[in-house]
Parts: sequence; C-alpha cells; structure tokens
Amino acid sequence: MLKKMISTMVASALLGATAFSAFAQDKPKVAFVPQIVGIPYFKAMQDGGNRAAKAFGVDFIYSGPVDTNPMDQLQIVQNLIAQGVNAISVSVLDASSIAPVVEQAKAKNIKLFTSDSDAPESGRAVYVAQATDEGLGDTVIDEMVKRVGDHAKIGIVSGEATASNLNAWIGFMQQRVKAKYPNVTLLKPQFAGGTSSRAAQISADMIAANPDLKGIIAVASTTCPGVAQAIETAGKIGKVVGTGYCSPDTARAYLKSGSFGFSVLWDPEKLGYLTVWAGKQLIDGKTFSAENSVPGLDQKVAYDAKTGVLLLGAPAVFTKQNVDQFHF
Amino acid sequence: MTLTAGASRLYRKNLVLTLLCGLWVALALTLLIGQPSILSGATLTSILQFATLLALVSLGQALVVLAGGAGIDLSVGGNVSLSAIAGVMALQAGVPAVLLPVVCLLCGFLLGAVNGLLIAKLKIYPLIVTLGTFYAYSGLALSLTGGAAQSGVPAWVLPWGRGVLGDIPLPFLTLVIPAFLIAALLLSFTSWGRWIYAMGFNEHSARLVGIPVDRARILLYSLCGMLAGGAGFVSLSWLGSGRPNAGVNLELESLTAALLGGVAIFGGKGGVAGVFAAVLLLVTLKTSMLQFGINTVWQVGVVGLLLIAVLLADRLSKTRS
Amino acid sequence: MATSFTPALKFSGRELTLACVCLVAIVIFSLASPYFATLDNLTTVLRNSTELLLIGLGMTLLLAMGGVDVSVGVVMGLAAIVIGQLLNAGVSPGLTALSGPLVGAVIGVISALVVVVGRIPAIVGTLGLYGVYRTAVFALLGGQWLSGLPDSLTQLVSAPLLGLPITVWVIALAYGLVWLALRRTPYGLHLLAIGNSEDKARLSGIAVTRVRFATFIISGLLCGLAATFYVGTYRNVEMTIGSQLALEAIAAVVLGGTGIMGGHCSLLGTVLGVFLLRILQNGLLLIGVPSLWQTVVTGGLLLLVLTAEVLSGRLRIHNMNLRKNRLKGEGTA
Repeated sequence: MLKKMISTMVASALLGATAFSAFAQDKPKVAFVPQIVGIPYFKAMQDGGNRAAKAFGVDFIYSGPVDTNPMDQLQIVQNLIAQGVNAISVSVLDASSIAPVVEQAKAKNIKLFTSDSDAPESGRAVYVAQATDEGLGDTVIDEMVKRVGDHAKIGIVSGEATASNLNAWIGFMQQRVKAKYPNVTLLKPQFAGGTSSRAAQISADMIAANPDLKGIIAVASTTCPGVAQAIETAGKIGKVVGTGYCSPDTARAYLKSGSFGFSVLWDPEKLGYLTVWAGKQLIDGKTFSAENSVPGLDQKVAYDAKTGVLLLGAPAVFTKQNVDQFHF
Repeated sequence: MTLTAGASRLYRKNLVLTLLCGLWVALALTLLIGQPSILSGATLTSILQFATLLALVSLGQALVVLAGGAGIDLSVGGNVSLSAIAGVMALQAGVPAVLLPVVCLLCGFLLGAVNGLLIAKLKIYPLIVTLGTFYAYSGLALSLTGGAAQSGVPAWVLPWGRGVLGDIPLPFLTLVIPAFLIAALLLSFTSWGRWIYAMGFNEHSARLVGIPVDRARILLYSLCGMLAGGAGFVSLSWLGSGRPNAGVNLELESLTAALLGGVAIFGGKGGVAGVFAAVLLLVTLKTSMLQFGINTVWQVGVVGLLLIAVLLADRLSKTRS
Repeated sequence: MATSFTPALKFSGRELTLACVCLVAIVIFSLASPYFATLDNLTTVLRNSTELLLIGLGMTLLLAMGGVDVSVGVVMGLAAIVIGQLLNAGVSPGLTALSGPLVGAVIGVISALVVVVGRIPAIVGTLGLYGVYRTAVFALLGGQWLSGLPDSLTQLVSAPLLGLPITVWVIALAYGLVWLALRRTPYGLHLLAIGNSEDKARLSGIAVTRVRFATFIISGLLCGLAATFYVGTYRNVEMTIGSQLALEAIAAVVLGGTGIMGGHCSLLGTVLGVFLLRILQNGLLLIGVPSLWQTVVTGGLLLLVLTAEVLSGRLRIHNMNLRKNRLKGEGTA
C-alpha cells in the first residue's frame, strides 16, 4: 500500500512538473502573497491580479499561507525569491514577513514590494495602498459618528492582535476620536482570532458589558459576519450600529437587515490589478510619476515619492442603498 | 552486498526509519526529474533556515516522547514565543544586550522546568499539563505585548541570524547540528541515554532498577524548554524583532516530525537521526510543493496523510512479524 | 488505578470543586459588573457554550475510553460546509439539520477506520486526520466563505420549546442518552472497562474494536450536531472554523474530572467545565480584562485545579496516615 502511495505521489508530481514546465519561461513573473488564502477579500485580489496578468502579458503567481502565520508567509516569499520570480508583492502580516529576505531579493535584482499591508522601514520598493491607513481609520469613525452621534460609546473587534495593518487602522481610529470627537468613548480593541464564532461571542459579551454601546467596528474582514450576527441575535438592530472593512458581498445581508449601518472598503479586485501593474512597472525599470494613468483603471493613481506609496484611491462607503451595485 | 544487508537490518529495527529513507529517495528523484533547478544553493539555504526552528523544537519533543510516561509537550510553541518576548523585554528593561541568548535559554529552561515539575512531582499527565502551559505561555506572550512585535533586537545578532556559510545558514550550523550531535551521543553512549530508553520502554522496571525516573523527566522537560528558548533566540536574530506568535503551530509540527522520525508515541523507541531527517523531509516537502506551484492548502493534508500512511505501514509490519 | 465502573449518584470531589468555583466566579462577576447576572447575558453565555457542550460530550466518551481526537473542530467544520451548501440550495431546514449529524457520523467512520482498524494510537491518528480534514475544508470552500446563509435554519435552532430554546432540549437529550448508555447498557460498561485496561477488557471477552468504533462514530455525530447549531447561530462558514475547539474540549473535559488515561468519566463535570470556561471568558470581558488574557486564565485555571487536587489528595493521605499512627499509639508526627 505504501509502495502504491509512493508511486502515485511520484507520478502525480511528474505530471505536475511537466505541466509546470509547459509554461513559457520568458514571460516576466509577478507574484502576490496574501496574508492568508481562502478568504473572499484576497480571492478578489487574485482575480484582479489574473486580469492584469492577461492585460500586461505577465505570469501571475498567487501563493499564500493557510493561516496567519508569519513564518509560513516568509517561507513562501523566500521560495519565490529562490525561484527567481521577477517581482514579488506581499500583504505583510508584519514587517518580519519580509525583513530577513530584503537583502537577498536586492542581490538577485528581484523587486520586492508590499501591497494591501505595509512594512514601511523594510526597504521595500513601493507600497501599493488601497487607501491611506489614516483615511481608512478616519472614514470609519466619521461615518460611525454621523450615525450614532458624538457622545456615543463604540467598540472595536479585531482579528489577530499581531496583524500590523489592522493595528495601524485602529491606531488612526483612536487618534481621530481624540482629535475630533473628544466625547466619544472608543473602547479598547478586543481580538477574536480568525473565526466568526469567536467574533460573535466577543461582540455579544461586549454588548452585554456595555448596554449603552452604540456601535461596533469589525476591523478584520473575518470578524464582519460575527459582529453582525451578534447584533442580530442580541436583538439590537437599530440600537447598535455595526460596521467594518467588509466586502459588499459579505456585508449585503447585514446591510439589508440593518445590523450593519454601513461598510467601508475599497475594491480589492482593482487593488490586485494595480499591484500587478506596479510589479510590471518595477520590472521594466519605470518610475512612478505623481499621477499615473493605468490602462484598465478608470481613475488616475497617485504616487507619493517621499513615502513610496502608490495610492489606489479614497475608501468607498457601502450602504443599504448602493450595495447592490457592487459584486465582490 | 553490505548496502542491502544494512538496509534489511534497518528495516527490521525500525520500519518507520526505512520508510523515511524511502520517502527521501522518492522526493529527491521527483525533484531531480521534475525541476532540477530546485536543487540549487538558494533552495538549500531556504530549507535549512526554515528547518532551524522546527529542528530545535522537534529535538526537544522527541526527547520528551522517548522517555515515555505518555510524554508529550504541547507547550513548546508557546515557550518559543514567550522566551523570545522575554528576551527582548529584558533588553528593554536594561539588561545588557550580550546576555540576550542567555535570557532566552534560561527563560525556556524555566518554562520547561515548570512542566517537568508538574509532571514528575505531581504526577499529572503530560498532555494536560502541557495543554495548560501551552495556553498560559502563548497567551502571556500575546497579552504582555498586545500582539505588537517588540523591537530592540541588537544589531549584532542579525548577521548571525541571517548569515550563511557556504549555503548553510549560521544558526543551523552553530545550533542545530551541535544540538543533534550532542543528543545523539548522549542517547547512544551514555548511561543517561540508556536510562531514557529504559524509562520509555518500561517505566516500572526502570524504577525498580534504580533509575531516577522523576529527576530525569524534570531534566528532559527543562532541556526541551531550553531548546525552545534557543529557538526563540533564533527567531529574534532572524526576524529582527520579538514576535509574540513566533512559535505558533510548532507543537503539532514538532510532534509530527518526531513521529515521522521513528520515535514511538509511547516512548522507548527511536532516535534523533530520524527526527533530523524527518524535519528536513517536512520542510523540503513544503518547499517542493511551493516550487511546483501546488496550492499551500494541500501541504497540511499531505503531511497528515504521510503520517497516517507511515504509521499504518509500521503497524502492519508488526502484525505480520 | 482507582476505578469507578458505575458512575455513582453521589458527586465526586472534582464535580463539587468545579461547582463551587463556578458559583464563586458567578458571585464575583455579578458583584464586579452589574451586567453579568442579567437574563440577556446569561443567555449569551449559554449560547456560546453550545458547540463546546456537544463536542465535549463526545470527547468525554473518547477520553473515558482511553483515546482522544484532536480533529473534532475540523470535523464540525466539514459538517458545517455540507449544511451551508444545503441551505444555499434551498433544502428544508429540517433535513438540513439532520444532515449535520449524518455527515459527522460518516466522518467518524473514517476516523475510526484509521485509528481503530489501523490500530494507530489515537493521538497520532487523529493528528494526521486533522491535517487531512483541514485540507478537505479548504478544498471544499474553494477560497470562499459560505456567508450570509439563509436564516431558515436559524429559526429552527432558536425556536423556543416550552419556554426554553430548542438548543437546551437537544443538549439535555444528548447528555441524557449518553448517561443512560453509560449506566444501563453493556456498551457503557465496556467503554469504561476498555479505558481502564484495554488488554484486560479484551481478555474478558469485550468486543473492543466494536466499542471503540462506535465511540468514534458517536463523537462524529455529536460534532455534526454541533455544526447544525453553529451554522444556525452564526450563518457563516469560513476555513478556520472550529480551529480552537479540540484543545478547548480536552481542557473542559479534563477540568470536569474525566481522566486522560480513561476508566472513569463525569458528564456533569464536562458540563461544569464548559460552563466555567465560558463564564470566565464572558465575565473577564465584562469586568474589562482584555480578551488576550483569556487563554492565560484558561491555562492557569487548568493547572491550578489539577495541582490543587493532587496536593489536597496528598494532604488527605498525609492526614490519614497521621490519624492512623495516632490510633496505633505510635506517637504524633
């Protein structure tokens, strides 16, 4: 039985190898490493990347860890470097996901850059941002205060405590409240890990602990369903406004039922598209101008040379009224 | 002639090890035929770098499992994270930077000793004790830091943490290889080694013969913890910051590596050479799958299947003989 | 090794201890936070405990038998995927609810084949199966979640029956059936005997393989039942589903007094253990302890309870010996 298993393994590996080698070796390769595979947000980025690959004549590789483990992410990045992929973009779980390999990549003339989540001090070539972290934090707070008033108590449910981009958004939320809405009580963030059930439990406990709670912000897209469900189960629709960085598809049911008042996001498909375009630009040695027109994207994309940030655009706000126009 | 004679002796002594060799041969052949470009220095470096943490932790796990008494250490991952965090926080508190490795090793040692004391002195089963300490250690690492990576790693460790000699990463060369060599020598040539095997094989008889089973267990769990502390230090010097989740998933992976390496779950059988080979096999397998473009979601399934298949084969051979 | 073949009606020391700790925790939290002892909050705690209660029941049987299963969370996940897809396809909630335990039982058969028939030690076999099942979850979900599922199942699982949500009745029924099986059927006696000593059980003619096989199927069925309630309550299936449940279940069951080496078990202990864990998680958040400290508390509690029991046991024996010596007139220590 074991012999059979080994021979099947060898056979399938050979098959895979021949299929792989059938790829044209001369097209430049652009890779994107998400924080985790298997969530709709990054799947949308993958779709965008595939579209851009077709448009710009590159090979697009999408490979990511199955759980938010920076070691696994680092291993994938290092493998891509060893394979000689020309441009590698990473949505870093945190700076250590690429810090050890930045020098290695430079030595092999591989363009290593970040997308969706940044590691600013790491020496990355560029950061393809969906919106500024500050803009994201501010928009969520502003929209929430519009709905609950500026004397309200608002809770935060995040995913992993170790995700640097999520923590950056929370930081800007806290700054915004301190600066503009001093009478708003923003509760300390609670961390639910990666499951919607845990997010629901923590949200339910939060609602119980604070009967005057007016809003809950779901920071990680994995916490969106949990937060919304907790509001519905507690019968607090209308009394507690849920929101988060959730895709329209995920948020649609909750926006319609009223547990979510709004959702803030950008189009991850466009972000994936832009990421691959940026990779191609880096491979071709082109620099970014202050305003870039990207074939295939309607709006112009701004670039800040000082911080090395390529900005997709302002965050979009989805509500019950406009959510049906979007399909991601 | 001697090759086949040696192989059949190995086959009879430990089927799992033989299967491990067989898997290695199969994997090597697959790579040679499928994508020879993989067999480059850069890949070797990559494999060994990722194998370093797993190797150190698996060695500790193997020692603990070998010594029997339903030995297992589920807390190794939490130990790695907490030792790394403790190291950086000690530096932040003013401890001289040159003592960083000492802090990590000591922290790991003490955390492991807690396990050992609860298991040997209070006679609570290892699965439960280490489950409790797993929750405590990994939780402490996260709650003390709030999830944020701790900076403050001195600059002079980075060239060691990220450096290579030839194609072999320095931490692997200077930590993993000596650790395994020492462990192998200890197990094969010293009375400590014979005690460990005796304890694993039949604890009751071991006690009757006068082996200090409890003291040995405490020491083993402390050593396991110290190895985890060492892995924490490696993570610091490689990543450049103290990550509170540096050890995530290591407990199950190290157990898998130890079992694939021929260590019997009830103790008394197996050796560190097998664990070494198993660790490398697992990392190489992951790397090869990535290079072949196979989606990462298949890795954990393949490893799981491998574990079941190898143990099934081992079990089948026993029933036949 | 101390054995209790027939779970006696009197409460064991551990159960009493747990009940006391639960009470103390409830009192402390009620005093520290005015929102703890409200009907809403306690209902929330109950709801949060559903999956763990069911999976813990299966785990209790497995541990009592001398085995374990680290893949239970992912088994629940696989069942949840099937339930979710059936819901999306518009199948009636009643049938969908039944499909959960069915799928769970089928997966239980697979696990049983590997561990029981393949005779691989349970911890190792289920470790390998954990990886296989996880990959299956990823592959079946295909990079998406099952989100915003229709709430037909939700109405079914939260429908009140004689004043209490149907969840409570189902869980009570499950525990009741298992309790009956343990006390009144040969299966129960055999299970405990196997946990006590598998060799002796085999020698006395017990069909060990069949009993072990059945236990894995029952555990799988309970995981599938948990999946029904999960999908009904949370209406979302993502690939990390159930990832912490296996270890939590083991912790709760051991906390409740079921020994890890088998031979005796305590269903009441499991219930108390699950409640204690959930009450702590809920109460800590209510009094303002950040969520990141919850695992530390769980681990600390586990170690504390076990240590205290051993030490108190030793204290008891020490005192017993003292009394014995005094009676014998050998002077005081």
